[in-house]
Amino acid sequence: MPEFVSVGRASELEEGEVRVFDVDGQAIAVANSAGTLYAFDDTCTHAQCSLAEGDLDGTTVICPCHDGEFDITNGEVLDGPPDEPVIVYPVRVEGDDIQIEV
Amino acid sequence: MLRFLIIGGGLAGVSAAVQLREEGFDGAITIVGEESDQPYDRPPCSKEYLRGDKPFEKILLKPEGFYADNTITTILGSPVTRIDLEGKVVETKTKEQIPYDSLLIATGSRNRKLQVPGSNLEGIWDLRTVADANKIRTEISAGRTAVLVGMGFIGCEVAAALTQAGVKVTILEALAVPFQHVLGREVGQSIEHLHLSNGALVRTNESLAGFEGTYRVQSVSTTAGENIECDFAIVGVGAQPNVELAAAAGLDVDNGIMVDAFCRTSAPDVFAAGDVTRHFHPVAGQSIRVEHWQNALKQGQAAARNMLGIPSEYAEVHWFWSDHYDCNIQYAGFHGPWDELVVRGSVEERKFVGFYLNQGAVSAAVAMNNGRDLRRAKELVRAGATIDPDALRNPDLDLRKLVG
Repeated sequence: MPEFVSVGRASELEEGEVRVFDVDGQAIAVANSAGTLYAFDDTCTHAQCSLAEGDLDGTTVICPCHDGEFDITNGEVLDGPPDEPVIVYPVRVEGDDIQIEV
Repeated sequence: MLRFLIIGGGLAGVSAAVQLREEGFDGAITIVGEESDQPYDRPPCSKEYLRGDKPFEKILLKPEGFYADNTITTILGSPVTRIDLEGKVVETKTKEQIPYDSLLIATGSRNRKLQVPGSNLEGIWDLRTVADANKIRTEISAGRTAVLVGMGFIGCEVAAALTQAGVKVTILEALAVPFQHVLGREVGQSIEHLHLSNGALVRTNESLAGFEGTYRVQSVSTTAGENIECDFAIVGVGAQPNVELAAAAGLDVDNGIMVDAFCRTSAPDVFAAGDVTRHFHPVAGQSIRVEHWQNALKQGQAAARNMLGIPSEYAEVHWFWSDHYDCNIQYAGFHGPWDELVVRGSVEERKFVGFYLNQGAVSAAVAMNNGRDLRRAKELVRAGATIDPDALRNPDLDLRKLVG
C-alpha cells in the first residue's frame, strides 16, 4: 500500500529551492516552484547526478552535470542527454509537514 | 514531395532529422552515414561504454524502430563520395545517386593522426567511434600498462576509464601544465592533480617521439629521451573537420565549412551543422568551430528550422562537459584572450566556478562539480557582462541577479 511519509518542513523549503530527502534509503527531491511542491527521484536518469544540485526554472529542473532537463510536473525529459523520464511522486503539505507518497 | 538529405549520421544529423519531423515536415528525409552502426551518442564511448557499464543499445541516439516509425530513411555504412551542387544530387560509395531539394552537411570531424616512427605498429589506438571503443576494450584488463599521448579532455576521460579498470596509465603532455592555454595554470594543475591522485602518472613537458616494438607496440619513446614500456597506447591529439566533400563541391571552406548564423553555406539550399562548421556566432561576433556535443545538438536543430524556411539564428553560448573519475568539469563561452580568472569556490577542493575576464568582461567560465553556477554563468557570458570581481567571488550573491 502506498502511504504518505513526512520528510521535512514546508516552511524551510523556499520558493525556487530544491532539497533532497532520504525516504527509506531512496533520495527524493522536493522542489518549491512558486509555492507549489513537486517530488521526484533526485537521481538523474542519464548519469546519476543529483538533480537537487541543479537549477530550477519554473517547473523545469536542470541537471547540474550535463544539462538534462525534466518537467517536474510529470517527469518527462524536455532537453539534453537523458532518454528516460524521472519518476515523480505525489506530494502534499499537512500542517507544516512535507509528505511524499511512496 | 520535398526531399531533404542529411549527410552524416552523428548527433547533428540526427537531431536535425528529429527536428524536421517535430516541425511537421512531411517530405522525405534521408540520412546517409559513413558508419554502419545505428546512430549513437559519442560521449559514452570514452566513459560508460568504454568501461562496459552500458551496452550499445543504451547509447543509441534514438531507439530501434524510431527511424522507420518517423519515415526517416537511413543509409548507413555507405558514405557520400560526391556532391553535385548544380544537379542537386549526391553520390554514395556504392554509386547510388540521391537527389535532394535541400541538403544538410553534418560530416563531423576525425582524429588527427601523428606520423612518427612506429605509428603502424599494432596496439596503438585512437578513439572517436564505437568501433574504436570496441578495439580499446579488448586491451583493457587490470595490471596492463598503457601510455596515453596528449592530455586533452577525451584523453583524460579515457585515462580515467582505464585507471578505474586497473590499467596503469602514463599520460604524456607536451605543455608544462595541461590545459594551460585554455583554462589557465591554476585549473590545469587541478586537473593534473585529479589524475595523479587517482593513480595515473602524468609526464608534462614531454611529447611523443615514436613507438617501438616488433609487431605490437612495446614502448613509447619521448622527446625527453625516455622510453616508457607499455602493453598498448592511445593517441588523443585533437581533431580536424571533415570538409573534403564540401570543398570538392566548391563550398567555402576554411578550417570548417563556412556558415552564417542561420547555418547557410555559400551555396543555396545547402546547410551545415556540427563539428564540421565554422559558424558565425552573433554573441562572439566572429566565426568559430567547436567540437561540442551541445553544438551538434542545437546547431542541428537550428539548421532543420532554417531548411524549412523558419529563420532560426543559432546563438547558443558554446558549452561542454567532461567527466573524469567523480569530477564533472564544464566550460561555457568563447575561448580567446583573457587577463584574469576570478574564482568563486575552491579550486583545491574541486568545487568552484571560475570566470575568465577579458578587459573586465566575462568571456567564458569553467566549473568543477558546480554545474548550477556554470549554467547561471552562461548568461553572464551571453551578456558579455562587466561585473565587479568581488561580486563574482562572493558565493552568497546569486549569479542570476548579477546580469544587468
